[in-house]
Amino acid sequence: MNIETFEALRIDEHGEIGWTQLIELSGLAEAELRELVEDGALVPVDPQSAQWSFHAYSVVVARTAGRLRRDLDLDAHALAVVLRFVARIEELEAELRALRAGVATSR
Amino acid sequence: MKYKDYYAILGIGRDASADDIKKAYRKLARKYHPDVSKEPNAEEKFKEMAEAYETLKDPEKRAAYDQLGRYTPGQDFQPPPDWGQQFAGARTAFDDIDFADLFAGLAGRHAAGARGARAFTSGRDYEAVVRLTFDQAFHGTEIELDLSVLEFDENGTPRRAPRRIKVRIPKGVTDGQQLRIPGKGGKGVNGGRDGDLYLDIAVESHPLYRVSGQDLYLDLPLAPWEAVLGTTVRLPTPAGAVSLKVPPGTRASQQLRLSGRGLSRPDGAAGNLYAIVQIVVPSAIDERQRALYRQLAETSNFNPRAHLEQEAVHEH
Repeated sequence: MNIETFEALRIDEHGEIGWTQLIELSGLAEAELRELVEDGALVPVDPQSAQWSFHAYSVVVARTAGRLRRDLDLDAHALAVVLRFVARIEELEAELRALRAGVATSR
Repeated sequence: MKYKDYYAILGIGRDASADDIKKAYRKLARKYHPDVSKEPNAEEKFKEMAEAYETLKDPEKRAAYDQLGRYTPGQDFQPPPDWGQQFAGARTAFDDIDFADLFAGLAGRHAAGARGARAFTSGRDYEAVVRLTFDQAFHGTEIELDLSVLEFDENGTPRRAPRRIKVRIPKGVTDGQQLRIPGKGGKGVNGGRDGDLYLDIAVESHPLYRVSGQDLYLDLPLAPWEAVLGTTVRLPTPAGAVSLKVPPGTRASQQLRLSGRGLSRPDGAAGNLYAIVQIVVPSAIDERQRALYRQLAETSNFNPRAHLEQEAVHEH
């Protein structure tokens, strides 16, 4: 049987993505996503630009937002706060991983 | 098909009100949501309770669920004969779908009715967990995935179709990273875009290398005289062994960097590999070695605790 092969893409493969694509990938309504930008949970590369674009990692943040919004029934403001906590947890976990990796294990 | 007791999953009685259902779900979601929970099996438990809530919060779906009757969780069962007539477009066979799909069909019919038969709907995004060895993650690999894809026919009746695909995983992926395969999720309806397939990458830990971002860390044990005099060691790296020059006077915990020997980055560059020096001493020495150490102790004027002694003098 001939099985088709597909490339799995890193979400951060491309430097930036556009507003329309972010809406499409996040699963959120445009108004909800706009509120996340206003609350600072998502930051456009150039907020003054007429056509917003975002760092590709914003897709991960927007998808997390979509999931939390759906699963926990949060309003936009609560969602922005929770996203900030999630980001803080990710930062601390990365710091902990770096500390653990950089310390020699006892022999 | 295996029966699931949605009420038991949410820990509520069959007569629970809509408000009780919501409260029970919210309480459990706080505990088990995979984005915030560190409970073991949180993801699995959350999926189960989200599926239960999805059905019980919707009066139409809840009525359909209640009409199935009561069985023991996990028991093989088929919906009663008249159930298909009432809820699934006169369908009588249910072998090709999962338990939750019984109610997903209802949502499809409802949505089509509300928005008109020609309304387009995007396909669902799917997620699958892919477990890789460290070497597969480092070098990149090709894997085969068996998916069970939910499709709807023109009447909105759901069915599961098996789909096998091959996927090329790029080199340098890390534990917890997500990869996307565009258009390989659920089929869009009436011209809606197809969903995407997301892969959650889990990478097994390696007995030698520890990962932080794209950098790797490896313990490098040295004998005391190697650290003092310097040496050249053969060091394993995931891309093959290399010679590493250890300079004289190397200290414990010092990190010796091998540039570009870490995990690949999307931009084509790579992280570094750090060899962390450990100074280890032999657990047993013979008389001759003991004599040599004594001789060294008598000859050397090295004082590793000079800073502590200075502090002790200040305290007096």
